[in-house]
Amino acid sequence: MLATVAKLIARRLLAAIPILLIVSALLFCVLRLLPVDPAAMSLPPTATIEQIEAKRREMGLDRPLPEQYLIWLRDALHGDFGRSIVFGREASSLVAATLPATVELAAAAMVIAAALGLGGGVLLFALRGTWFETVADLGSILLLSIPEFLWGLILLFVFGVVLRALPFTGEVAPNLPQPHITGFILLDALLIGRLDVFWSACQHLILPALALGLAFSPAIMRVLRSSLFDVYHEDYIQQARLRGLSERQILLYHALKNAALPTLTLAGVQFGILFSGTLLVELIYSYPGMGNLMVDAVRNADLPLIQAIGLTYCIVVLLINTIVDSLYVVLNPKLRVR
Amino acid sequence: MASPVSRLLRSPRVLVALGMVAAVAFCAIFCGVIAPHDPADQNLLSILTPPVWASGGDVQYLLGTDSLGRDVLSRLFYGARTAMIVALFASLGAMIIGSILAHIAGYFGGAVDWLIGRLVDVWMSFPPVILSLILMVGLGVGLDRVILAIVLVDWTRFCRVLRSEVLVVTRNDYVAAARLLGFTHWQTVVREVLPATLPLLITLFSLEMAIAVVVEAILSFVGLGVGPDQAAWGQMIADARQNVYQSPWNLLLPIFAIFFTVAAFNLLGDGLRRTLDARLAETGH
Repeated sequence: MLATVAKLIARRLLAAIPILLIVSALLFCVLRLLPVDPAAMSLPPTATIEQIEAKRREMGLDRPLPEQYLIWLRDALHGDFGRSIVFGREASSLVAATLPATVELAAAAMVIAAALGLGGGVLLFALRGTWFETVADLGSILLLSIPEFLWGLILLFVFGVVLRALPFTGEVAPNLPQPHITGFILLDALLIGRLDVFWSACQHLILPALALGLAFSPAIMRVLRSSLFDVYHEDYIQQARLRGLSERQILLYHALKNAALPTLTLAGVQFGILFSGTLLVELIYSYPGMGNLMVDAVRNADLPLIQAIGLTYCIVVLLINTIVDSLYVVLNPKLRVR
Repeated sequence: MASPVSRLLRSPRVLVALGMVAAVAFCAIFCGVIAPHDPADQNLLSILTPPVWASGGDVQYLLGTDSLGRDVLSRLFYGARTAMIVALFASLGAMIIGSILAHIAGYFGGAVDWLIGRLVDVWMSFPPVILSLILMVGLGVGLDRVILAIVLVDWTRFCRVLRSEVLVVTRNDYVAAARLLGFTHWQTVVREVLPATLPLLITLFSLEMAIAVVVEAILSFVGLGVGPDQAAWGQMIADARQNVYQSPWNLLLPIFAIFFTVAAFNLLGDGLRRTLDARLAETGH
């Protein structure tokens, strides 16, 4: 069983390689077609034309585009994504420093989205046929109309500004030490044995994670409800009823398991989008993750950094999709290849 | 069965949504007439005035002013114009590119279908937010650039969904019959396939307008949107985020404007789907 899954993941990851190559080439082309000159940007404004020309040659910008891409690809495969023009540091080390915070935020948001989506979907289904159904149906459309961007601002306003219940800037309170061991702040706080830092980090994580979770749960809710409707047309539900099982038992032990599969497919796509949604939430809450780094890079047209971060987002989204696809196979006996 | 239009006009969902869209469209079209001030006029003597119902409010500025002393009400109206222009043209562009490719792929199948399918796959492996930000770096700020960026990101939404619909429609006997009658491929697609995919196309268009409003707000919020000369809801939010304690209304009003507009298009899309989708309509009545 485990071997099959491992084989499957390996196969999916292999299939992702050509996609990643094309994506990186596309990124490279788009960024090189820009009307910005990375050579001129990495020199002080007093640089002469000759100095800029020399820098262009040094950076390889005078060579044809395909050759430039191959050079970039060779370096990238060695883990060298170039140097950030603005920060003057390796792009890869900047990404490595900010990625854990983003992963942590996305993971917390996924748990919230899944919990709200499952609970809400089952509840919506259980209330079918009552007057509440129409209200809830309309409500879920309205909820779908609030993207993570607006949820972030609304929660910031309600819990941060009006109630002053939760902090809404940064990762931990500014007067506490900010440990940097693994980059995962919750883990680091435990590693240095500071429960106050851990608690502060939790408080800072709640609002951004909730904003993302709330934005992505309605879609999961609606799909779970409609899959439950489909499942209830199947014969085995009727048979379970004839066997004398209660409606609650049928829903929780028979229907939910089967309705979970189509929901999982959607959740995979949703979690991929959710991961890139961290960018906006990080921006709103000044959360020190990859999203804020990306916005800095974009505002300064920092090409090597944009390229490294853009590619990282694509890789993580592909990874999430691969993992969810494999989960689908694990949970669906019909798809197991022997 | 009643005609689609009369069925639409009997759906309360569609009517309410149309009313909401009309309200935003009215603000967008007539903002030059109904706005009390020029949206760019700065009055540095009265910055961050609260709305008229709060203490310290000024009748001259019904909904208060922002950090540069610009009238919030007027900026909301002009922001509606920006949002609606972007939503309309970006969705049109994405629809045209996406549905042409979808019809080519679904109708002809084979290698063309495979090629377009892979193109969509690669395109969709870019997270939309990231791709639009990267495109805006290259395109620069401006209303037309925002529209172009959204078209370039979102054509895949139309292409992927419509392609499978075209595939189903093309298998119908009446399409083969049209070919037997000597219709060219062009005639067959336009006269036989397109009318069958049109309901889905219209629904997707409405939903895409909702997405475009959000993307425009996000890009303007980041500062890579329509540019500083044009009023935009996202910019208003970014400005208000800096002064959230002094003037909470400046944050809430554009948030509500975005929510209202997006909800209108989503509700319209949902209503259209329910009424135009023949299969759903038959089982529902």
